[in-house]
Amino acid sequence: MNTVVCMKQVPDTETLIKVQGTGIATDGIKWVMSPYDEFAVEEALQQKEKMKAGAVTIVSLGPDRAIEAIRTGLAMGADNAVHINDSAYYNAADPFATAAVLAAAIKNLQYDCVFLGKQAIDDDSGQVPAMVGELLGIPVITQVLKLEVAADKSKATVTREVEGGQAVIEVSLPVVLSAQKGLNEPRYASLPGIMKAKKKPVDVKTAADLGVTAGPATAIKEMTLPPARQAGKIIGGDDAAAKAAALAKALQEEVKII
Amino acid sequence: MHGSGAEISREVFWNILGPGFPTEQVLLYVLVFGTFLLFFRGLAKSGFFTRLKAAANAKGPEVDRLGNPWDRFWYMVTDVFGHRKILREPYQGIFHFFIFWGFIALLITTAIVFLQADVIYPIWHVWFMKNGFYLGLSLFADVFGGLAIVGILMALARRYVIKPQWLDEKGEDGVVLWFILAILVTGFTVEALRIQATEVDPSSPMFHYVWFSPVGRSIAFLFSGMSDVALRDTHVVLWWTHVLGALAFIIFIAYSKLIHIFMTPVNIFLRPDVPQPPLKAMPPEMFENAETFGIHNVEEYSWKDIVDGEACMRCGRCVEVCPAFNTDKPLKPRDVIQDMRTYVGEKAKLAIDADGTYHVIPDEEYTGPGFIGDTISRDTIWACTTCMACVEACPAYILQFPKLIELRRYMVMMESDFPAEVMDVFKGMENNSNPWSIGAHVRADWAKGLDVPLMSEKGGAEYLFYVGCAGAFDDLNKKVAVSLAKIFKAAGLDFAILGTEEGCCGDSAKKIGNEYVYQALAMANIETFNAYNVSKIITMCPHGYNTLKYDYKELGGNYNVVHYTEILDKLIKQGKITLKQPIEGLGAITYHDSCYLGRYNKVYDEPRDIIKALNSGSLVEMSSHHAKSFCCGAGGGRMWMEEDLGTRINQKRTREVMASGAKTVCTACPFCYTMLSDGIKELEMEEKLQAMDIAVLVAKAAGLDGKGQEADAEPAKAEADSE
Ligand SMILES: Cc1cc2nc3c(=O)[nH]c(=O)nc-3n(C[C@H](O)[C@H](O)[C@H](O)COP(=O)(O)OP(=O)(O)OC[C@H]3O[C@@H](n4cnc5c(N)ncnc54)[C@H](O)[C@@H]3O)c2cc1C
Ligand code: SF4
Ligand code: SF4
Repeated sequence: MNTVVCMKQVPDTETLIKVQGTGIATDGIKWVMSPYDEFAVEEALQQKEKMKAGAVTIVSLGPDRAIEAIRTGLAMGADNAVHINDSAYYNAADPFATAAVLAAAIKNLQYDCVFLGKQAIDDDSGQVPAMVGELLGIPVITQVLKLEVAADKSKATVTREVEGGQAVIEVSLPVVLSAQKGLNEPRYASLPGIMKAKKKPVDVKTAADLGVTAGPATAIKEMTLPPARQAGKIIGGDDAAAKAAALAKALQEEVKII
Repeated sequence: MHGSGAEISREVFWNILGPGFPTEQVLLYVLVFGTFLLFFRGLAKSGFFTRLKAAANAKGPEVDRLGNPWDRFWYMVTDVFGHRKILREPYQGIFHFFIFWGFIALLITTAIVFLQADVIYPIWHVWFMKNGFYLGLSLFADVFGGLAIVGILMALARRYVIKPQWLDEKGEDGVVLWFILAILVTGFTVEALRIQATEVDPSSPMFHYVWFSPVGRSIAFLFSGMSDVALRDTHVVLWWTHVLGALAFIIFIAYSKLIHIFMTPVNIFLRPDVPQPPLKAMPPEMFENAETFGIHNVEEYSWKDIVDGEACMRCGRCVEVCPAFNTDKPLKPRDVIQDMRTYVGEKAKLAIDADGTYHVIPDEEYTGPGFIGDTISRDTIWACTTCMACVEACPAYILQFPKLIELRRYMVMMESDFPAEVMDVFKGMENNSNPWSIGAHVRADWAKGLDVPLMSEKGGAEYLFYVGCAGAFDDLNKKVAVSLAKIFKAAGLDFAILGTEEGCCGDSAKKIGNEYVYQALAMANIETFNAYNVSKIITMCPHGYNTLKYDYKELGGNYNVVHYTEILDKLIKQGKITLKQPIEGLGAITYHDSCYLGRYNKVYDEPRDIIKALNSGSLVEMSSHHAKSFCCGAGGGRMWMEEDLGTRINQKRTREVMASGAKTVCTACPFCYTMLSDGIKELEMEEKLQAMDIAVLVAKAAGLDGKGQEADAEPAKAEADSE
């Protein structure tokens, strides 16, 4: 089975984020593969291993540094990669423009499934999977928890998360699937994997190479950090009754919720 | 034959040799010759030569264990005869000492008798075995032979009455003891019969000296009523029983653990150089060109690792001290060595052709049981805390746990096969250079408001204070870092920290088996240290201490590294820190030796001296301390793994603290501090017991604990900001 994984390089969740203009300052940031994309890569690899055939191709839009995350995916076991290195597109950080270049790149590839993370953990828009599906003209299933592909690759049974439960869906292939936490446990790249990844082919492209002209559909006007968390307050009192009274008073007068 | 005259001596072969041609003597030669043939056949049958062949063909890295041969030889001689390590365990040490010296005494005596009767007398007709020399020899043999019997009885008592849990119970173990006892008892009985027949009569020249054979003389009383003929008949029968028994015993050596008589001294000669890291670094260039990392085929070990198996006599000292075994986990270091030995032999049999050539069996062709999993279980491999108690205890100088780490290297780097919870630890070290996975930018936040000099601002300093991840990221241990910074400042030490330029030392990665990540972390630190021309380093954590001191050397980083207890001890003794007033409420204090400070680096006195200098409570020792200290459970990357097999190591240690009668347990290691604090909480002993790092107490006693408390609140806020 041939699969494509859309993978984005994002700042590590623990990195200090500093706002700069309508984006973030990139100096001193440690970049990693977006965690939901790790589930996507892992699932593609597991499906390939199950079918014992096919190739896994990583497609990523990002600057030069994105190659590190691409190599991580290749070290995990993906076979090759397309790196769309086009500043107009990655700087726009617009879901539609992103989906347009990804879909254009995917169109040139052989695929039975396209895997994406359910959202990228940097701008959290969660729109790209649906848009890619639309642009490719194939079904989309988001928040996937479990995937079983029929041996003849005609259809797949997909379990996805719904509010408070799970839904099981049967879908024809090819299909776009977005990965939710719980789908699998991403592997740790082995050392031979890391070494082999250095030699795996990475096709570098621009939007023009792919014939994409669609511009961004949105523009970021302002970026701010969430307000700093307030220090907690400990309600004192001589005994339980006094503490309860003080609490009630605070809720009434300070927070004004009762 | 000489010796029947009126001088003080005895007739060799009394009552044994017939008249005329010495048929019996010739028979004896034939038997001895046959015994040696059977001995070597025994070695072959028990696979000894096969395993040595496997060792000779081992593919592992070359280890130099032949440098300074004279030093090695001298160490071996003193260790074998002086029982340096064996006597560390009083009971088994003493009984082994008795048996050993019994053997040696009887061997020497037999050799002298042989020289006298079969070499010197027949050639030169000189009889030197007489008078004072003879009496001395007789006493020597009797006394040590008697002690050997005491030793055997003590060993039997241990095996059948005391029965420690860690003792191995193979059939041969009992046989060995009864066998030796039978040889000793028949030997003494033969002597007693001869004494009764020839020396107790006042006409005998030996009459006045018969007590120079105290054991034989005493037993002779049992035979005082027997006729001369009966004495002689019994003597002949028992003499041959004794001789045949002794010869059979020599053959038995080849088939049993007694081969350690030869192989343990060999291993002592080949012992690892100290100091050196017991776990060698993988050569960095390997990461460029090797195809496989770590070990999964037993042939990939070094020859020395395979020879180790031959020296192990299954004494179980390593099991007795192993924290994993003592908390019901499946790891017994002895069994690792023994199972490996058996496996080496089985696999080597397949690898040796009919003509004796050895060829390595390719993985594709090999269908037998694997080494990882089938022979050494994964749970065994992951249970080790690298506490080094096994290595320290082993009288045969075997390196047990490094063999397990080699397997971890294969599992981690080749197969990504490790406990699931370790994934985040690796990612944390890779992305944020700390196993807590906390943003690298908050590494120096513990120092906020304390005005701690930064290398980048100061440009250089006499000492680099290498804080390490625990001091930088763990709330409990930040207090230790804060205390140390305040103390160093107060003492006027010329020091600086690296702040956010500091990186994880890599110890956990290394011991979990991820040498690749370890070396990346180490190289980053070495580069930073060298950029500031660092030569002296103070570490807060014994793991960082050991890593920077020894492991970094292998990667080209040479630094003079001290642990904070060493420097605090010095500063206190020099009067640069004054411990103004005793601290109230500490009660009796005990000190928990960190494995990496104690066993790894022999820092035992400094922490104790500091505690005494606090003048705040008497220092008591736990049941295990110094070189025998029991691990807290956090080493070897176990800090980051679930402990779901058996009971918890930290709780066992906490109970030992409790049993010592101490109210405060002092630590000098962030992992120990955490593990014991948790142990106290888990066992709900907070009322009776507290864990305290020595640095925190010193700061308090020096009146430095008040200022700069705002620093404690800062990091929490910084973390919130980054979410
Ligand atoms: C990044 C991300 C973070 C999130 N975080 C949270 C969270 O913290 N807490 C939480 O509770 N939820 C969260 N959600 C879920 C989110 O609230 C829902 O996705 C959202 O409410 C819309 O649901 P949906 O995406 O399934 O869209 P859809 O079900 O497709 O609905 C989208 C919209 O389309 C229109 N629509 C759909 N069907 C019809 C119809 N039949 N007739 C008319 N209009 C229709 C409606 O306007 C509807 O609101 C998150 C989602 C994302 C992508
Ligand atoms: S190092 Fe410690 S835990 Fe590991 S085998 Fe040896 S004694 Fe047991
Ligand atoms: S490894 Fe050493 S300590 Fe352990 S049983 Fe063997 S000889 Fe004894």
